[in-house]
Amino acid sequence: MGISLSLLKRTAVEVETFVQRLDGRVKFLYFIWASILVYIFYDFILNLIFIIVTLLLAIYARVAKPIAMTLLVIIVPWIAIATPILSLPLGFPWNKTIIYYIKFAGYEIPVYLEGLGWGITWPLRIGVCISTAMLFYLTTNQARLVATMFKMKVPFRFIYMLIATFQLIPLLVDEANTIFQAQLSRGLRTDVGIIKKLYYYLALVIPLTLSALNRVQIRAIALESRGFSAPVTKTLMYEAEFKWMDWIFLSTIIVATIVLAYVYITYGYSPIAGLEYIWG
Amino acid sequence: MGEAVVKVENLTYSYPRRENVLVNVSFEVKKGEVLGIIGPNGAGKSTLCKALNGLVPHFYGGRIGGKVVVAGMDTMKHTVAELSTKVGLVFQDPEDQMSGLALTVYEEVAFGLMMLGFPREEIDARVRDAIKKVGLGGLEGRSPFELSGGQMQRLAIATVLAIKPEILVLDEPTAQLDPIGKFEVFSVIKKLAEEGSTIVVVEHEIEELATFADNILLLDEGRVRAYGSAREVLEKVDQLRKYGVDPPSVTELTYILNKEVGTDFEIPITIEEAYKIYAEALGVS
Amino acid sequence: MPEEATVETVEVTPTGAKILAVVMIPTIAALNYVGGVLVEMLKAPIWGDTWATMLGTLISGFVVGAAGGFLYNIIMAFTVWGLPNWVWGFANVAIALITWFMMKMGWTDLKKPMTYIMAIILFGFIYPIFTTAISIGLFGGGPLWKPLPAAIYAAVLSSTGNFWLANYIQNVSTEVPDKVISYIISLIIASRVPKRFILAK
Repeated sequence: MGISLSLLKRTAVEVETFVQRLDGRVKFLYFIWASILVYIFYDFILNLIFIIVTLLLAIYARVAKPIAMTLLVIIVPWIAIATPILSLPLGFPWNKTIIYYIKFAGYEIPVYLEGLGWGITWPLRIGVCISTAMLFYLTTNQARLVATMFKMKVPFRFIYMLIATFQLIPLLVDEANTIFQAQLSRGLRTDVGIIKKLYYYLALVIPLTLSALNRVQIRAIALESRGFSAPVTKTLMYEAEFKWMDWIFLSTIIVATIVLAYVYITYGYSPIAGLEYIWG
Repeated sequence: MGEAVVKVENLTYSYPRRENVLVNVSFEVKKGEVLGIIGPNGAGKSTLCKALNGLVPHFYGGRIGGKVVVAGMDTMKHTVAELSTKVGLVFQDPEDQMSGLALTVYEEVAFGLMMLGFPREEIDARVRDAIKKVGLGGLEGRSPFELSGGQMQRLAIATVLAIKPEILVLDEPTAQLDPIGKFEVFSVIKKLAEEGSTIVVVEHEIEELATFADNILLLDEGRVRAYGSAREVLEKVDQLRKYGVDPPSVTELTYILNKEVGTDFEIPITIEEAYKIYAEALGVS
Repeated sequence: MPEEATVETVEVTPTGAKILAVVMIPTIAALNYVGGVLVEMLKAPIWGDTWATMLGTLISGFVVGAAGGFLYNIIMAFTVWGLPNWVWGFANVAIALITWFMMKMGWTDLKKPMTYIMAIILFGFIYPIFTTAISIGLFGGGPLWKPLPAAIYAAVLSSTGNFWLANYIQNVSTEVPDKVISYIISLIIASRVPKRFILAK
C-alpha cells in the first residue's frame, strides 16, 4: 500500500516532456491498445518488447521509477512462484514437452515447456497492462485527466466521483493515521493474536467510518449549494486538444497495428517465442 | 436601506424524520443589511439558513408551509442550482465544503463558476477578485488542504463571493476555528458588511456579532422569540438567558449593575459603547 | 407568546438522494482503500478492502455499495494493479449483490448462527466460483503471488491434477476468512451508524 499512496499523492513539481504533453486520450488509447494486443498474442517476448517500449517512454518522462518498482513487486515474484509450480511435474494438465531435466537428490526432474511458457507469459501480459496504465496515469495531471474524460463524453457526475476518490483517500489515510496513533497511546499493539488484531481493527475503522459518513451529507449539500446539479455544460479551465505530436503518436499506433496484424496472419499468435496455445 | 432581498413569511417546516423544526418564522433582510441569527443548539438556525437557498425543502424533502422569497425568487419554485447564483452559503467546517475536484486554491474558487457554466475569461477575473477580497492573494497555487483553518474558511467565503450572490449566508463560520482563525474570518465578514454586502450570519460569538449586525433574530425551538435591531434584542438580558444565549459581557454587567445596584446606565452592547458610557460616568475622557 | 396560527403545509419529495450518492460512492471507495491500509498497519490476516462495499450496501443500498466497490477497483487498476484488474470491479458488484441478498433475507443478525452459515456459504464458496472464472479467464489461472495460497494451489494441483479445482480451492482459502470477517465487520459498523445516514430500505 505504501507505493500506491505515494502514487495517489502527486508531487507539486511536474516535469513537462512530450509524453506529458501528449493528449490524455492518446495515452489512454495506447494502454488499451497494448493491453488488448498482449491478450491476442501469446508471446512473452512480444510482451517484453511492449514493457521495454513503455519503460523507455517512462524514463524519458521521468516516471520510470514507480512503474519499475511496481513491476518488481508484483510481476517478478509472480513469475518466480508461478514458473516452478507450473513447469515442474506438479500436475499442470497441459504439460507434455520436456525441455530440460533438473538433477536433484538422484532424481531427474523434468521441466515442461507448456508450464514454463504459461508461467512467464501471463505475468508479463499483466506487466504490460500495469506499465501502460501507469504511464497514462502518471503523465496525465488531474486537469488533463478531467479534460480527457470530459472530451470522451464521460458524464460529469462520474468524473467527479473518480477525482473525489483520489482526493478523499489521502484525507482519510491521514485521519486513519491520527486514530491509529491515538489508539497506540491507549495501548493498541500490533504484536498480538489474530482475534485481538481484528478487535483492534474494529477500534480503528469504526470511528473512521462514522466520521467519514458524518461528512458525506455536508459535502453533498455544499456541492449542491455550489451549483453542481445545474443543468448546464460545465466550463473547464483546461481544454484537451489534439496537437501534431498526438497525430504522430496516433499514426505510429496505427502503423504498428497494421504490422502486427500482418505478423499475426503470417506467423500466428506466438510469432517470436513460438509457444503453443493451450486451453480455450 | 433599500428593498428587501430576503422575505420570509410564516415559514413552517418539518424534516421527514423531525417535526416542527421551524414554526411560523417571519423576517426580512434589506439590501446591505446584516442579520444575525442567535439561539441555543437545536433551535433550527442551520435549517433556516438552508431554507434560504432552497436546500430546505428540496434536498431533504419534508413538509413546508409559508413563503421564502430570495432576490425575487420563490424558493419553492426554483431549484437549489438556480438559487445558488443568488445565495452563497458557507458552512461550519471548511474542510467539508471543499469541492473534492480542485487541487489548488484557484481551482477551488473557480469550481462553482465552472459548475454554473460561466465563460473561462469571466471565471478567471472573478476568481482573482474573490481571492483578493478575502486576503488569500499569493496562495492561489496552494492545495486547499494545506491551509490553516482560518485561511480555509476564508477560501470557503471566496468560493461563494466569486459567484457574486445577492446575499451571503454564513452558518456559524467561526465555530470550528482557533482564536486566530476566528479573528481572520470576522475581519473578512466585517469588511464585507462595510462594503454593503447583504449578509445573514448564524453566530455564537455574540460580542463579535454585536459589532456588525444591524438586526438580530433570536430563534428557539424553531420559533422566533425576539427580532429587531441588535440593540433591542441584545439588551433584553433576561430573555437571552431564558433561551440559553449568553449576552455580551458588558451588556450583562451593566444590566446587573442597573438592577442590583440601582445605577441608571444606558445599556451598551459593544465594548466601545461600554467604554464611552463608563468613561462618561466616571468623568474621564 | 400568542397562540400560533397554523400554516398550511405541503409535502415535498427530496431530491438529495442523487447528490448524496455522488458523495457516498467516493467515500465508500476511499474507505475500501483505507481499510486495506489499516490492515497493513496492523498486519492483520485479511485483505480488508471489501467491508466498505458491504457497508455501503447495508446503509445506502445495492447501487451505492456496488458503485463504491467498483470505483475502488477502477482506481486501483489505474494506479497499482494494472488495467485488467478493473474486472475485479465486477467481483465487488457480486459482493454488493450477495450483501444485498443477505440483507433482504434478514441474515444480518450477528447473534444468529444462520448469519454465519450463510455468510460462509455465499461469500466463502459461491463467490469464489465467480472469482475463479475471472482469475482463469483474465489472469491465466496460475498461482497467486502470495506464498500460502500458492502452496495450497500447488498441493491441490499435484494431488488431483485438476487445474480448475486448484484455482477454486486457492480462492476459497483466501475468501472464506477474508469475506466472512469483512461481512462481520460491516455488520458491526452498520449497527453503529446513526439512523439518519441509513438510506437503504
